[in-house]
Amino acid sequence: MSEQGAELKAEELQYVQYQADKEETYLPAIRQLISRDLSEPYSIYVYRYFLYQWGDLCYMALDSSNALIGVVVCKLEPHRSGTFRGYIAMLAVQEPHRGKGIATKLVCMAIDAMAARDADEIVLETEVTNTASLKLYERLGFLRSKRLHRYYLNGNTAFRLVLHLKPGTALKRPIAVELGIDQPGQYQGYPSASHDPMGP
Amino acid sequence: MAEPQLGHAATSNNVVPVDGPGSSKEASSASIGLPLRQAMKQPVAEIKIHDITDKFTRACSALEVGQLVKDEYFTLFESIGALEIMDPKMDSGFLQPGEASEDDYDTLGALLPEELIGIMDQLLCYEMAWHTGYPLSQTLFTSVYIDKLLWPEPKVLEQAQFYRGEITDDKRPGVLLEVLRAYCLALVKCCDFAIARITSRDYFEEEDFCTHTYNRVLFVQVPMNVFQRELDASVERLQDGTEVEINPILRDAIVARLQFRKDFLTALDLDVPIDHLEAHWQPLLDGLTTITTTQQLGKTVPGSFSLKIQRRLASTVPPRPIVELDSADAFSKLKQLITDCKEATRFPSLPPDPIEYQNFLWAFASRTPTPLPYSRSYLANLLFHESSISIPLADMRYLVFPASPILDPTNWTLSPPRNPMLPKPPRLQLAILIDDFIDRAGQPYLEFWTALGQNRCRLRRMLNHVISAWDQLQSDAGVVDEDLKNVIGQMNAEGQVLDYPLTTWVYHKKLWMMEKAVLLGFEQDIYLPDEYAGMYLFLNNVSRKRKDLLLTVKSDFNNRLSQLRSNKSASGLQKAKEVQDGLLYIDSLLAETTATLELGLALGKFYVALLYLDLIPRPKRPFGSEQCRYELRMKNFLNLHPSEVTEFSEFNNHTKPFGPYEKPDTDEVDYTKDKIFKWMANPTFWSGMEEHVRRAKEACSLLRKLGPQAAHAVGVREAWDKEVQSTMASCVALGVAVLGLKLAAGAEGPRGITIEFPTGGQGKRYHEGWVVGKVIKV
Ligand SMILES: CC(C)(COP(=O)(O)OP(=O)(O)OC[C@H]1O[C@@H](n2cnc3c(N)ncnc32)[C@H](O)[C@@H]1OP(=O)(O)O)[C@@H](O)C(=O)NCCC(=O)NCCS
Repeated sequence: MSEQGAELKAEELQYVQYQADKEETYLPAIRQLISRDLSEPYSIYVYRYFLYQWGDLCYMALDSSNALIGVVVCKLEPHRSGTFRGYIAMLAVQEPHRGKGIATKLVCMAIDAMAARDADEIVLETEVTNTASLKLYERLGFLRSKRLHRYYLNGNTAFRLVLHLKPGTALKRPIAVELGIDQPGQYQGYPSASHDPMGP
Repeated sequence: MAEPQLGHAATSNNVVPVDGPGSSKEASSASIGLPLRQAMKQPVAEIKIHDITDKFTRACSALEVGQLVKDEYFTLFESIGALEIMDPKMDSGFLQPGEASEDDYDTLGALLPEELIGIMDQLLCYEMAWHTGYPLSQTLFTSVYIDKLLWPEPKVLEQAQFYRGEITDDKRPGVLLEVLRAYCLALVKCCDFAIARITSRDYFEEEDFCTHTYNRVLFVQVPMNVFQRELDASVERLQDGTEVEINPILRDAIVARLQFRKDFLTALDLDVPIDHLEAHWQPLLDGLTTITTTQQLGKTVPGSFSLKIQRRLASTVPPRPIVELDSADAFSKLKQLITDCKEATRFPSLPPDPIEYQNFLWAFASRTPTPLPYSRSYLANLLFHESSISIPLADMRYLVFPASPILDPTNWTLSPPRNPMLPKPPRLQLAILIDDFIDRAGQPYLEFWTALGQNRCRLRRMLNHVISAWDQLQSDAGVVDEDLKNVIGQMNAEGQVLDYPLTTWVYHKKLWMMEKAVLLGFEQDIYLPDEYAGMYLFLNNVSRKRKDLLLTVKSDFNNRLSQLRSNKSASGLQKAKEVQDGLLYIDSLLAETTATLELGLALGKFYVALLYLDLIPRPKRPFGSEQCRYELRMKNFLNLHPSEVTEFSEFNNHTKPFGPYEKPDTDEVDYTKDKIFKWMANPTFWSGMEEHVRRAKEACSLLRKLGPQAAHAVGVREAWDKEVQSTMASCVALGVAVLGLKLAAGAEGPRGITIEFPTGGQGKRYHEGWVVGKVIKV
């Protein structure tokens, strides 16, 4: 599909930020959309965990009748590695609407919002076989930083993808290390210790 | 989107880590002497029930409908562990209308011999599924029989039956059920051994192996011979034939399974003496063949495995599907486990030499398919068993102390002067300095070996951290080197010792690890094609430094050699011989790093050319900047001393020697696309690349000629050979690709070709770390 075609199609949709007072309207649809690709559902608390604290980092694509077509859910907080880290927790687009740039648009909005809030970096995990998702993120500037063996419950392996938004981010270090109390053998900052136990 | 990893977060009894979500994957502590026995660690909590309905209702009435309250301490970790009651997908206690909470499968019902075989084989499949990393709750613990044996917890083994309490004689299990019981008991003990073995080493709960036993005690206290006796008795009863009459073919198949189980149990035994280890694994391979060929005799008994048992195992996790590993897969995993353990048993008989050990560990970690957690722990156990040599000392002796006065054994025989005010004799000072440094090096060395025992993904990540540890060691080595130098000065022995020997040794090892870390990145498809050029050029830089270091070492060896030869004393000549032999190792290292250096450079240049020819996709990447991405790539190496990462502009000079890849077709820039194309159409453009390929091949040939002996890899001769050959094959493939480009190049750019990048892990590359793009005609 040509870039223009994608733009045109995408324009029929409305892209809106999530609003906490609309939880009843949107949350069921978000849950339904996200859990379609999960063999095991997240509890409502997982959604609320993100939406309550970072609702402004959640964007939705709605069609003309306000049906949910796509959604991205994120968080942004200081990470123990010393960076202000954004995390894309969930992303999904309704099957019939895929391949039209909708997810790309949603992710771009989320990144812009996190960048505006001074994020150093944005990270996420995705299955090594999820070509669509890898392509989408890598086109935007994400690099693979780690391979995570058996990251998902189903035994599948993931890539950690990372996008640094500011120069110098790679040089930030956990406070403990700066003070020189990094214990040898404790493997601080090992991927295991820093990774969120869920992946989009 | 895939399933979230939230399993053990919710099920484990571990304290939630202070740093929030994700930390649950911490390495299990391996340092605590005794194996952590999970089964013993999980006391059954006393249950108290409080009615909170009133309190809850009152508290709720203070809230608006839909109003959310978030507790400050409610973490992502907890939200993931939370369940929604009455949602059938999450609430394992939820019953559909009319559904019973328990199965009504009768564990005392008579079994046909075929069914017995079927159950045994299915158990074996689940056992292997567990070994590959799935929890017991989705595998073995779905067996109704095993459940009956383990719950309620039997006080003595006799209570572990397919029933509890008293039963009438007519209900008593028949011979085949007794046989199944013996098999199951031994199987459970096998699990106990496996858990104990794995938890005694560094492993990672979620990604490698699940140790949870859901409060079931896997006969931790019962000694192995009890299970062996049960199995033997079963075999006897079957063979005796007075109690049951079974078709001999079926009987033999059952006996083979019992025998296999006994052999497996024996091999897994924790206390098995270290010699003759290998003898335990070979019979298993033979036994497995019999099982495989008689597998079709079995008949499945669907009701004997049930998901409903999960309800009683863990009420705090959603119901999860039974993991179905098909028998072909399961048997091949089992075969792999046996073969890998058998391979590991060769470790104790290796020459006592840290480089031999290192090569063995590397080869083991590189086996395909990658060894299972059990096999890795098995090797780690042998590895850390005991050793008569000081590993770091022996290691540095080979590289930097050829017949050196610093390691002269007499240094360790001197005693300090009585009067502590008097200076210690210089030789004693040397011994003390070296001893202290060896102590200091112990931990980083241990971390290095530990990394080599991890799964492949973690090996790469861990290496990056081990590199930092060695970086710190390097700076400490510098201080000790100064001290050594002073003492050597006092002894007037300057010419006999390499400058900065300890630093050299540490730095060499660090650079070796860096090379491996980059190659592992390629192997694991961490880099995208348009990053290949930069990463291979970086690799080239690292190995160039290693080569320079080795050249200094080599000249010191030669220096030492001529000193010793001119000395002409018997001991001098003896030492000269040692140095001469030691030089072979240095030559082997030189050849190895030269191959890496040259092939890295050739590939780097190759991919630079492809970028200019627009034969590599370059994502637009609207976010971040090239400089940020460069930093991200170099992140693990940014803080090293000496600095290993060049400035971004310098990096650009190499990856973009002709300026940006996309070119305006005007003459305002030095290199227009036209000019570049024309240049590339000239064969001389490619001759540099061809020269590096040639040198890489030459280095590979030399390395091969020097052989595994020189490389200290006689213990893994075959694997070593294969590694060298596959590097050689990569050189050849690159030569072919360069030729393809040369032929396709023209004044308007290349015509009629595309590049195919062989993906990793599918046998499409000659060497997983060397990605050689294939030129394809279209
Ligand atoms: C991943 C997902 C969100 C993408 O949504 P989308 O709106 O189709 O994405 P976009 O159209 O913006 O971009 C996807 C890109 O991947 C490409 N793509 C899609 N499927 C592909 C496939 N099987 N192989 C290769 N490329 C594929 C698309 O063509 C597009 O690239 P292009 O524009 O260069 O052609 C969607 O597939 C989805 O909901 N998947 C299930 C949930 C999931 O995997 N979430 C992501 C986990 S991080």
